[in-house]
Amino acid sequence: MLAPVVVAAAALSGCGAGGTRGQAPITLYNGQHPQLTQALVKAFEAQTGIPVKVRSDDGIVLADEILQEGPRSPADAYLTENSPELMLLSQHHLLARLPASVMGQVPRRYSSPTANWVGVALRVDALAYNPSRVARRSLPAHLLQLGQPAWRGKVAIAPTDSDFVPLVGAVIARYGQATARRWLEGLKANAALYPDDESVVAAVNRGTEAVGLVNQYYWYRLRLDLGPAATHSRLWYFPGRDIGGIENISGAAVLASSHHRAEAQRFVAFLVSAAAQHILAASDDFEYPARPGVAPNPALPPLAALRPAVLSVVRLGDDLPAASLLQQVGLT
Amino acid sequence: MATTATTGAARPLAALARRHRPPWLLATTSGLVVAFTLSPLGLVIAQAAQAGWGQVWPVIDRGFVATLLWNSLRLALVVTAFCAVIGTGAAWLTERTALPGRRAWAVALLVPIVLPDFVLAWTWSSVFPAVHGYLGAVLVMTLHLYPLVYLPMAGAFRAADPGQEEAARSLGLSKWQAWLRVSVRQARPTLLGGCLLVSLALLGYYGGFEDLRYQTFTTAIFGELQTQFAPAVASSLSLVLVAVSALVLFGEAAFRERGRSQRTGPGAQRAQRLLPLGKARGPALAGAGAVVLAALGFPVATLAYWMVAGGSAGLPAAVPLASAALYSALYSALGAAVATALALPVALLATRHPKRWSVALERSTFVAQAVPGVVVALALVYLASHYLSFAYQSPELLVAAYAAMFFPLGLVALRPSVARASVRLEEVGRSLGCGPLAVRLRVTLPLLAPGLAAAFCFVFLSAATELTATLLLVPTGVQTLATQFWAYAEQGASFGAAAPYGAIMVLMSAVPAYLLARWYDRGQARAALVGGAG
Amino acid sequence: MSAISCRGVSKSFGGAAVLDGLDLEVPEGAVVTVLGQSGSGKTTLLRLIAGFERPGQGTIEIAGEVVDSPRRYVPPERRRVGYVTQEGNLFPHLDVAKNVAFGMPRAQRSSARVQELLELVGLGDLGKRYPHQLSGGQQQRVALARALAHQPRVVLLDEPFSSLDAGLRAALRYDVARILRARRATTVLVTHDQEEALSVADLVGIISEGRIRQFATPESLYSQPVDLTVAQFLGEANIVAGTADGSTVETVLGRLELAGTSRPLKGPSRALVRPEQLSLLAAGNGQGPAGAPRGRVTHREFYGHDCALVVDLDGASQQVRVRCPGQPPVEVGETVAVVARGPVLAWPA
Repeated sequence: MLAPVVVAAAALSGCGAGGTRGQAPITLYNGQHPQLTQALVKAFEAQTGIPVKVRSDDGIVLADEILQEGPRSPADAYLTENSPELMLLSQHHLLARLPASVMGQVPRRYSSPTANWVGVALRVDALAYNPSRVARRSLPAHLLQLGQPAWRGKVAIAPTDSDFVPLVGAVIARYGQATARRWLEGLKANAALYPDDESVVAAVNRGTEAVGLVNQYYWYRLRLDLGPAATHSRLWYFPGRDIGGIENISGAAVLASSHHRAEAQRFVAFLVSAAAQHILAASDDFEYPARPGVAPNPALPPLAALRPAVLSVVRLGDDLPAASLLQQVGLT
Repeated sequence: MATTATTGAARPLAALARRHRPPWLLATTSGLVVAFTLSPLGLVIAQAAQAGWGQVWPVIDRGFVATLLWNSLRLALVVTAFCAVIGTGAAWLTERTALPGRRAWAVALLVPIVLPDFVLAWTWSSVFPAVHGYLGAVLVMTLHLYPLVYLPMAGAFRAADPGQEEAARSLGLSKWQAWLRVSVRQARPTLLGGCLLVSLALLGYYGGFEDLRYQTFTTAIFGELQTQFAPAVASSLSLVLVAVSALVLFGEAAFRERGRSQRTGPGAQRAQRLLPLGKARGPALAGAGAVVLAALGFPVATLAYWMVAGGSAGLPAAVPLASAALYSALYSALGAAVATALALPVALLATRHPKRWSVALERSTFVAQAVPGVVVALALVYLASHYLSFAYQSPELLVAAYAAMFFPLGLVALRPSVARASVRLEEVGRSLGCGPLAVRLRVTLPLLAPGLAAAFCFVFLSAATELTATLLLVPTGVQTLATQFWAYAEQGASFGAAAPYGAIMVLMSAVPAYLLARWYDRGQARAALVGGAG
Repeated sequence: MSAISCRGVSKSFGGAAVLDGLDLEVPEGAVVTVLGQSGSGKTTLLRLIAGFERPGQGTIEIAGEVVDSPRRYVPPERRRVGYVTQEGNLFPHLDVAKNVAFGMPRAQRSSARVQELLELVGLGDLGKRYPHQLSGGQQQRVALARALAHQPRVVLLDEPFSSLDAGLRAALRYDVARILRARRATTVLVTHDQEEALSVADLVGIISEGRIRQFATPESLYSQPVDLTVAQFLGEANIVAGTADGSTVETVLGRLELAGTSRPLKGPSRALVRPEQLSLLAAGNGQGPAGAPRGRVTHREFYGHDCALVVDLDGASQQVRVRCPGQPPVEVGETVAVVARGPVLAWPA
């Protein structure tokens, strides 16, 4: 009695994905925000007629799935919010090389040095703060200060958010394991833990927490949702290219195991095309387009004005040391 | 487990039944079913073993796990105690006292069961951000889980023999003493069964705790998945979770009294006399009203409010509402059908061939109840990615997870009907000239139908509101109501976008809940629930 | 031709023989009861005749048709057997009328036919009720009507009255016997209750150790049991040891004449003395007939129409039970003389 039931299920799930007839769909593992990806996918499907099936989850969860699946992975392309996942997959030779025509669309420092993935968008880590809880002049000049006892009970972090792991990785890369560990242990004692950056920025805005470590775009999205009148928080960029202001590079890749490599490559090429980058800039996602010459959402300050930290994707590396440190400290 | 409702079958007949060897097909099928429902446990252990002790032990042996243990235990203890008090009190009010409008209260107190934990937690924390952490979790989880005590206790009070309380009164006990020492004491196995369900459900939840920012094993397992590149690590944490659940299960079994037979004689039971509340009427109404308001009125009103006024309702939906609703309904219905189909042979075997091994086989499936959804999901992902690649990310896998997780519910709901549809009736049917097939259609099927329907409803209701396993197993390109609600709820301020998914989910589970309530009202569920949900 | 014929029927469960070469011939139209203790295989016998079980060995015929033999098996639905169990086993999902109509051919499921049957069992106005709304006795009446509805060749009743209380049991027993006789339905009723077995039946079979030990009219069973086992089964029995000399037997109750069927018996024997063959005379202070054994009354039971007394005989570890008409002639504790009247049955010890 099981068989017909399962067949029915399979049939139904099949017709749910993709729309275009004739063309085999490609599968995208998507760690980006589903709404943004959906807008990009729609435009791609309209332009090429290639249907795209999207599996959305945390970038790290998806990278993990690709690692587990190995050569049998159903994924054709992978789009994520942070470079370390891409570096890890690249080290495992799971990503296909992209042609120079694709790589050349964005500055080299935003992409894989081995041409295994290409940068699509950028965000900058920052500190959301609530002026009623903490004065602007008291805000830390360095990320590492948040681990000091002075900040006890005032910080919010989301240690299981995909964006927190690269930040820890950056601290390790810049200051070494021991300093990073002391900082994390201090942070653990100081901070209230939230499940994700969205909750962190909301808590700061309410005044529940004084400051919260987030990515700059969460604050803009909160302001869009609540309107300026209800936005009681501000954003603080760490000055002097402090490591707290690291750039997060969102990138895309084609899986080496893909059976639709040409189509997947077209999709990745589309992501860095002017058309897609304009969609990205016009969306409510508040990320900086990686492609030169495409202006970001007008609500955002120019990227150069933020003076983000400089750390190459190679030095930032994969997430493994950071993940291990988080576990040792007991934040995950 | 539910005791077989034999209508005083003659001893020789029972002896005959016992001497009969069960048909090998039924026995084999049941064995396979039980093996299937217990397989996640084995798979998680296998996965941890494959990763190696050296990788697993450091994950388990650290202060963080101690924190998680402490968090789980203190929450389980307090929430279970509150649920026991509220559930028992509410059941007593609606079943034994002259509470004004008690039939309506009986329904209103039961309905919160259809609100998923993560919806309830989200409505509370979205309006009152102060509802978080330990106290927030105690509040929300108590409101969410007390119906698991209320439902069986109401059945027990309804079935209790009023003569016994009267006898206790004649022996000099006051009204209250008689109630406590006779009715409540007699219902103790039922109460314990309800408490067991509360504790196990609590240990398995994820979404609600994430909303409330309370760290438990399940949130930590998801945390591991989101930050670590080693699913074996997450699985090893889930081993600790399984161990805690197993401890609860065995604790309940040890606590339970041996004898629990109560009803004697086939005669119609005397109607209960309802206790006048007198001066306690006001407080009783206020108490029941507060519970219903907090567990049902408030969350429903909040959903409605966000649907109308939510600032981000304009956010583009990644998946249309109709599609999410369709997939929720489809997967839940398939899971319910499979779980019910799997429960049938096991129920038949244990009822019709009550040997020591067949009863043990049936009981062992309740261990499956102690395996949280996240563990089942992780095990199935591991199985599919390593050995059944064709099933990887398939709807079948999700359906299989639902079936494995909710199989015990189906079994409990099915058991009384299977006991009713006895072999004797089939034999009588055949001696009246019906062939084997005709007997199954005219006798067995009509008798099983209410149980099959109840099992289906039970599982459907649970699957439609399931989040944890669904998040891990939902096929590529698909969102269910639960996962889409969760996706929005996670996005901080997207209240308006999340609300419609939550509302449809609640409406969708209200249908089977209503059917179940009617079935329960007709007394069919009584045997199952009074007999022990353990 | 017998309505039911069992020849050499054996059945065992898990190695334990329940029926062991059983023979039984039930004449057409007879009401036969099979009396035996729990576990004696009574129910198994009925289930074999109904076709719910297969015998290990032997042949079963119904109305001359072989329904079960090593070479042939007719399934229950084609045997046209009416079967009524101890619990009635009414279909709980059907009302009374639909229960009765269950076995009828579709064309015949008319309300008139069902009504006729319901009136036959005295439940004419309960057709719309459901089984759980009926008393135990009513359920059994419906079960009987249902069993008769498909015009069975034989009706099998498995302890049909045993779950009812005493008063109801007698009334229902009377009714059922009347109905079955009126329809001349061949009936086999199994029971462990001797009163039931004797009062209803044309013929009684005593089942023990997997066989029919004796099959006869109730009267001849009572007066001429083939052995002590059967004798003890039916009615109350005093078994006394003695020595026979061909025409009499010497016992603690004196020298008693042997019944014709027990002659000529010689040597050590065991004699059956029914309680009503004994009478008591007050024997305090050396009264009473000389030579009669004496004893003390230790227990008495009064039944209205008669009474039973238990006497411990002096000088022998023997207790006897005595039936006396009317009021008890003596009190507990009195010394009595016991007078026995022959003839008695006896078997070699």
